[in-house]
Amino acid sequence: MRPRPRWLWTGAALFALTFPALVGFDAYVCHVAVLVLLYATLALGLNIVPGFTGLLDLGYVGFYAVGAYTAGLLSLAFGVSFWLALPLAALNGALWGVLRGAPTLRLTGDYFAIVTFGFSELVVMVAKNETWLTRGPMGLPGIPPPSALGASFRGELPFYYLILTVALLLIVVSRRIAASRVGRAWFAIREDEVAAEACGIDVARYKVTAFALSAAVGASAGAFYAHWITFISPGAFQFWESVLILCMIVLGGMGSVPGAVLGAVILVSLSEVLRSLLGQFGLPEDTRFIFFGLVMVLMMRFRPEGLLPVKATVKSER
Amino acid sequence: MNCAMPFLEIRHLTKRYGGLSALSDVSLTVEQGAIAGLIGPNGAGKSTLFNCVTGIARPTAGEVVFGDPDRRSLVGLKPSAVAARGIARTFQNIRLYPNLTALDNVKVGRHPRTKAHLFGAVFKTRSERQEERDIHARALECLRTVGMEGVADLPARALSYGDQRRLEIARALATEPSLLLLDEPAAGMNPVERQELMELIRSIRGRDITVLLIEHDMKVIMGISDRVTVLDHGVRIAEGRPEEVQADPAVIAAYLGAPTDDADPR
Amino acid sequence: MLAQQILNGLTLGGIYALIAVGYTMVYGIIQLINFAHGEIYMLGAFLALTALTALHLPFPVALLFGVACCALLGVAVDAVAYRPLRRAPRLSALITAIGVSIFLQNLARILWGARTKSFPDEVIPALFKATFVVGDVTVTALQVFILAVVLALMLTLRWIVLRTKMGRAMRACAQDLTCAQLMGVDVNRVVSFTFALGSALGAVAGVLIGVYYNAVYPLMGYRAGIKAFAAAVLGGIGNIPGAIAGAFILGAAEALGAAYVSSLYRDGIAYAIMILFILFKPTGIFGQRRETKV
Repeated sequence: MRPRPRWLWTGAALFALTFPALVGFDAYVCHVAVLVLLYATLALGLNIVPGFTGLLDLGYVGFYAVGAYTAGLLSLAFGVSFWLALPLAALNGALWGVLRGAPTLRLTGDYFAIVTFGFSELVVMVAKNETWLTRGPMGLPGIPPPSALGASFRGELPFYYLILTVALLLIVVSRRIAASRVGRAWFAIREDEVAAEACGIDVARYKVTAFALSAAVGASAGAFYAHWITFISPGAFQFWESVLILCMIVLGGMGSVPGAVLGAVILVSLSEVLRSLLGQFGLPEDTRFIFFGLVMVLMMRFRPEGLLPVKATVKSER
Repeated sequence: MNCAMPFLEIRHLTKRYGGLSALSDVSLTVEQGAIAGLIGPNGAGKSTLFNCVTGIARPTAGEVVFGDPDRRSLVGLKPSAVAARGIARTFQNIRLYPNLTALDNVKVGRHPRTKAHLFGAVFKTRSERQEERDIHARALECLRTVGMEGVADLPARALSYGDQRRLEIARALATEPSLLLLDEPAAGMNPVERQELMELIRSIRGRDITVLLIEHDMKVIMGISDRVTVLDHGVRIAEGRPEEVQADPAVIAAYLGAPTDDADPR
Repeated sequence: MLAQQILNGLTLGGIYALIAVGYTMVYGIIQLINFAHGEIYMLGAFLALTALTALHLPFPVALLFGVACCALLGVAVDAVAYRPLRRAPRLSALITAIGVSIFLQNLARILWGARTKSFPDEVIPALFKATFVVGDVTVTALQVFILAVVLALMLTLRWIVLRTKMGRAMRACAQDLTCAQLMGVDVNRVVSFTFALGSALGAVAGVLIGVYYNAVYPLMGYRAGIKAFAAAVLGGIGNIPGAIAGAFILGAAEALGAAYVSSLYRDGIAYAIMILFILFKPTGIFGQRRETKV
């Protein structure tokens, strides 16, 4: 990791901690802030696979959906508290990450990407069609918000601090892993699988672990989402979301932890601005994606390593 | 070196790709502590042999047995398991981790001899931190062995060709092998670098590491090998001491005249 | 009933074939999954529709208009977005392709709105509406037209690839790009031609399906695109006859599956087939895969 001055990190952390106060506890701004941190979490999770194994996951929304539905259904059907639903959702996500990943170990980059895409489409299709389980397009309303110390979460503030904690933990863990033996093994796989194997790294095991970890993070984010918005439906888990999260790590730099966070900050803010702007022009708010498409094309053309690349360029020139 | 024990034994190795026989019934023995050479014209099957030994390719027939005193078969093992058994290799086309620093490249080599897992990394346990310090020190030492500690922090892709070859060797050494397979380590080297390479290989043997090397450069092969095996079109056509092999008419014929030797300006 | 579904499936398959060859030709030469190809198909339908309703051009002219515009668009997308990344890692190109796809999809939504549009009755040639009955199968003239067009275009494509200089150049590039270059082939021109050809066929498919289902909407490229890609994988990516065969098989499977198994998972059939083939038989039914040397 390129050493950035300590004060930058502590400054950022302080800013994040006091942010709600700084904006006068404005509900809308805090809502957007939660959204930013939620997407930052997703971006950090998605980052794991390309950052550590060099593969591209186009179906990340699938795990997001698995986590949301697992947590939502557990809470609604069995009254499971959020604090238990979250790890259970993460585990389920990890399981599906392994199931999806294990057969794909031999695939090259673009075929792997296509399979991940197909998988997430199937997940959403199941969510839409298996109404006995998911109530299909009608979705699952009334998911209870988390409660702590006897009181249930109200307003944006408790959610903000919860997701901030998650994101901070994820950042710390990512950095620690990157500087460790396991992290180096993953980077080796990303750079050259054959050489990694010759260095005694069991590539299959490490890849599957990366898949499981990435999926677990996505599923955890989904569980959070379910208990925050309290209503989930298949419509929230379209391919667009995978693209948006992908766009964030492309913008920030694939495999880069600060890049993922920066990407989330920029794109979620841009997304909110565009939403209102497009509304004023009478255009459907989904069309803001036209800018995300443009961002992806421009980034790949002019700055493929991202805005805050990992210490050397992420991709090797062949 | 006491009684020469067969350390690596390749018996009747055959590898077929569809209708093409890359290796046919090749047998080869490397004794512990030896520097063994493997030569042959292009396409003779030398790299295929390496691939069969290290688990990248699965032999169609034959056996590969390694170790002393425990002699175990290598056939069917994954490359990472072979590396864990103590066999390291370099690649003909250099396979480094281009975006990692030279030091990090070598640190990866420490993988099979270390064991910290995710738990240790995430919670920064004392044993993990100790192991990291250890890895750092050992990796630096390996770089020093090949004379490259000065460029430890450069990304591997920024290194010169000769440095990259040496880095690959440093990384292989970091795995603490008992057998080192070198695939054309002298390719593209000038006479000075070649000489240093030969010194390096001798010093590696001095650390009780057995070496098997593929080379086209006859100066290197003649200069350091104890025994040489010659392959041509997947078949072993000669085996013996370097002088014997160089004079063998079958070998000369296989190379279409004379092998690259003193006449070569390289 | 079965025969009816097979006919429907073949009609659908024919249209997928027109799209699938575009994917397979581009992948065969530059190893890029052109995510944006589905959007070209969609734009073909929209452009023809606009030509019919706003410019009041007759049907054949409107069709040609759509085809020409899309051919140009395909070439433009390659020149602007893909060509600069010819030497970049393939994942960069894939991401770019996704970006272009998203961009075009939303451009269509902005230009034409998100609601499904249909071809007004008066612009569809009357003869398409004729139907006749063969046994217990109802055949519409449109279906006959579609199958005839598909056949004609496939034969034309075959002629181009096998009997023209450009076709030879395309095949050479698909075998070995560097070698073709060394032989004096202007690779950029060949790639541009391939994009133009694939896009033109895709545009025809878009118009045909727009008329067949009488529905044109911005997301139609997304839906059909993945199915056509699945067909290309099924037949062996890079293999043109394979893609055509794969498309017909997929079309039949989709029609039969929707009728007899579950209409809810109609699209899922294509996804499932694609995933299974990629995992277990990536060379497809007919295809060839390149080996990498260690």
